[in-house]
Amino acid sequence: MEKEKRESLLIDYIEGNLKDADRALIENEMEQNAGTKKQYHQLKEVMGLLNQTHHIELSHSLQSNFEKLLQQEMASNKKTSKQISITPWVLRIAAVLVLVFVGAVIMDRFIEKQEHEKEVAAIKKELNDNKKLMMALLQNQQSASQRLQGAMVAYEMNNSDDDIVNALVTTMNEDTNSNVRLSALEALGKFYRQNHVRSALIKSLSTQKDPVVQMALIRMLVKMKEKEVVTQLEKMTHDDSVIKAVKDEAHWGILRLI
Amino acid sequence: MKIERLIPDEQVMEAVKNGELQQASILFDRYNKRIFNFFRQLSNDTMLSEDLTQNVFLRMIKYRNTYREGNRFQSWIYQMARNVFADHYQANKNKANHIEVEKMSNQLFEDEEYDEEREQRLHSSLSRLSDEQRELLVLTRFQHLKYEEVAEMMNTTVANIKVKVHRAIGKLREFYFELENR
Repeated sequence: MEKEKRESLLIDYIEGNLKDADRALIENEMEQNAGTKKQYHQLKEVMGLLNQTHHIELSHSLQSNFEKLLQQEMASNKKTSKQISITPWVLRIAAVLVLVFVGAVIMDRFIEKQEHEKEVAAIKKELNDNKKLMMALLQNQQSASQRLQGAMVAYEMNNSDDDIVNALVTTMNEDTNSNVRLSALEALGKFYRQNHVRSALIKSLSTQKDPVVQMALIRMLVKMKEKEVVTQLEKMTHDDSVIKAVKDEAHWGILRLI
Repeated sequence: MKIERLIPDEQVMEAVKNGELQQASILFDRYNKRIFNFFRQLSNDTMLSEDLTQNVFLRMIKYRNTYREGNRFQSWIYQMARNVFADHYQANKNKANHIEVEKMSNQLFEDEEYDEEREQRLHSSLSRLSDEQRELLVLTRFQHLKYEEVAEMMNTTVANIKVKVHRAIGKLREFYFELENR
């Protein structure tokens, strides 16, 4: 008989698990073979020892630690279930809908804001581009037509900033070409609602020597209904250095403003 | 006799799963000693066995929802114990991945003051078995689990478990009598 099969039969025999035929077979084997008999006794001893192995007792701390652990779990379980139970499903659905709605509104605002920012950025870019072009043209001392074109670029612009206004005021007061000066005045007129443009125009009335620009300036200030300039206009009507056409324009302006 | 003693493990575990956590104490009382001894027989380390036992019952509570109705509770908790043991040795692979023969026999009897020569030899022989063989003997002989339960845990057939257990006993006999003849 094969060693492994013999051993297995012996184990079953010791445990009382063999059917009659197998039991007879292994009993016969033991009678015939002293080695099998020895093996049987050895297995019986070892298996007897395995069954005798006793359990040892545990420390009390294991029990108390478990109780502590269980109490903690029960407490946390209570908290969790409480949170769930105070929120009926209707309220949860409502909360979800509110969140979805709020989310949609925020998203809409966000998109709107983004679009607005894009527009602002485009305007700024356009202004920046036009400003650069205008400045370059106005500063061209060699060509009056280039400076005139610069003033016309300013006139076409929808927005302005301090740099543009200052450049136009300087051109209006100091440019050597009267057409350029007039064009600069016309461009400034477009931005007359801005306070610093108004004060620049009022100041220019007292310093301006070019009669064409003086008359255009008086017409613009009257159109702007700028009453502050009445005193200045009166002075001009008595100023001998001012030509008659300008004095008549100043007089007409006073009549319109008072 | 307390009436709770008559309630099957499975029914108690179902109650725990359904939120009656206090019932977990009943299962702890029924199994803590067995699980502790299972670890002790595998590791021969009393302190470690206590820690691991605690870990098993912690898992039993934490993962109570994984207990499936109709499953044998004993198989489930021993499977958890096997996992805890495997996790521990995986985590401490470099520190101790085998049980030393001397440590095993000495510690056992320091704890127990049980100076029976034959039992000492038995445990020395057990420590020479492979991890799988030792675990099979601990489960089936010390813990008295049925082959069906062990087969279920190890995802194999009852016949396969029986063959393996018999081989392990045969090997144990060889080691045991080798030591006796020295």
